[in-house]
Amino acid sequence: MLSVQLAKDTFYAALRDRVALGNPARTIVLRGVVRPGVVATENELPGAAVDGISPADAFCLRWTGLAVDTQGPMPLIALGCEIRYATDGTSGSAGMDRGRALAAMDAELVAAISKAPQTACSMLVAEIAGGGSSTSTMTGTNVFWGDVAFKPAVMRDERIERTAEVEVFCYGQ
Amino acid sequence: MASNLIASVAPVTWRVRAYFAPVNRAAGQATIFDASGIAGFNVNAPPAPWVDLGWCRHFMRKSGTKNEALHTGAPGVAVGQVRSEVEAQVSLEFESWGKLQLALSAGVQQMNVLRVQSGAATNGSGGAAVAAVSLVAGSTATSATALDVGATAAAGFAIGDVVAVDVDYVAQTGYVGSGVSGGYVKSAALVSSDANYIRRITLNVARVTAITGGVLTLGSALIAGAPTAAIKVSRVVGFCDREGGSYFQEWSALFVLQGTQGDVVAFHYPRLQAMTGAAESRDGLVGVQAASGELARLRLSGSFRALPVKDANDGEMVMCFRTYLPGMMRTV
Repeated sequence: MLSVQLAKDTFYAALRDRVALGNPARTIVLRGVVRPGVVATENELPGAAVDGISPADAFCLRWTGLAVDTQGPMPLIALGCEIRYATDGTSGSAGMDRGRALAAMDAELVAAISKAPQTACSMLVAEIAGGGSSTSTMTGTNVFWGDVAFKPAVMRDERIERTAEVEVFCYGQ
Repeated sequence: MASNLIASVAPVTWRVRAYFAPVNRAAGQATIFDASGIAGFNVNAPPAPWVDLGWCRHFMRKSGTKNEALHTGAPGVAVGQVRSEVEAQVSLEFESWGKLQLALSAGVQQMNVLRVQSGAATNGSGGAAVAAVSLVAGSTATSATALDVGATAAAGFAIGDVVAVDVDYVAQTGYVGSGVSGGYVKSAALVSSDANYIRRITLNVARVTAITGGVLTLGSALIAGAPTAAIKVSRVVGFCDREGGSYFQEWSALFVLQGTQGDVVAFHYPRLQAMTGAAESRDGLVGVQAASGELARLRLSGSFRALPVKDANDGEMVMCFRTYLPGMMRTV
């Protein structure tokens, strides 16, 4: 389904841009390139980001559930998106600031996802790569999403991590 | 030729945003929202005189309009319909607490509890208040968001004070309150000719956010706009409303729902009056706290009955206008 990929790409781009706007210092180096710290794990090399946990201090998106309501004039598609993030804190603080670092990431995620409008114009990958403005009349619909839900933080050795979930919606073409 | 229109879907919306505008009670004149304004309506900065009341939840519209069949012949055969009764109701819960939300949901006079004189007799809605402060005559510093009371009087205020701003009561009868009627006075005797009475019920309240050179800067604009020379200022310690009383608050309401596809649905009730007394709902908080059963969020609940206005286009008496703005390039 073209619309599912459009929604995934559009939501990723929207989240990436909003996180970058809120904290320009939230970056990650992937394959030698400095990028905003938001990664769609399925778009990376297999094993490069196992379950989205490996890269610390970045938000790792993983697409989970899928549901389609075909009752309306256009099918309504719901996608589950899991956002995992972890931090070791900073070495200068010997990791004792990892709780604060996780709280900062919590706040950045809330701000990025809850900022109005919780919609984005569907964009093709080429449009996203071209600067993020939709030029296609083919898509024409908005991707939209609900509020973010957080799971409890988990300690894994010296690392603290959390998983958040958000439901993303789009209309099928 | 293939159409490039997109199928129109049922609007998907998040929350309802409510807006208030005054009704001129003496003239029986509501504030009318022109439906053509919905396209450019900025939900975060509504055009005057609309005032943002914030988000609402459990917004519910109910039509009480009755259509009855018109029968003729024997046996009676329905040959038409007649609208025998027109009624509309709205209920909601405000997410925010403020003077306006309190006043509208209570439906009666919403009293400003003024600072009382030393030794004043106790009273449920506040005892005899200290004398109000006049504005400096002719000051150009006074506006809807600033009150020039002069340096001496300003020393009696502090940043963070809430002030009620309105005229003295001097034996007026009928609707009182600048900008928005906040009460109805049947006789001077009933309000004990209290000079502060109008400031007790006025909706012109604001918080002082700065004091410089005798000028009180207000955190929000007064509903009545720039004060006149007769306006005085009283310090407020809180708000109070009562179960009972004879006054009905009335307001012009606009409820806006923004859709996910650029579509907008708006409901405009030019005249709403509370149909229940003051009430609140208690809801658990998000996450773990909700399970404790102890912490709860108190929301202002309101149920309102719509009253009619005449639509100038055809002279019909109507209660509510529903406006729908389709998203771009949707089928209509």
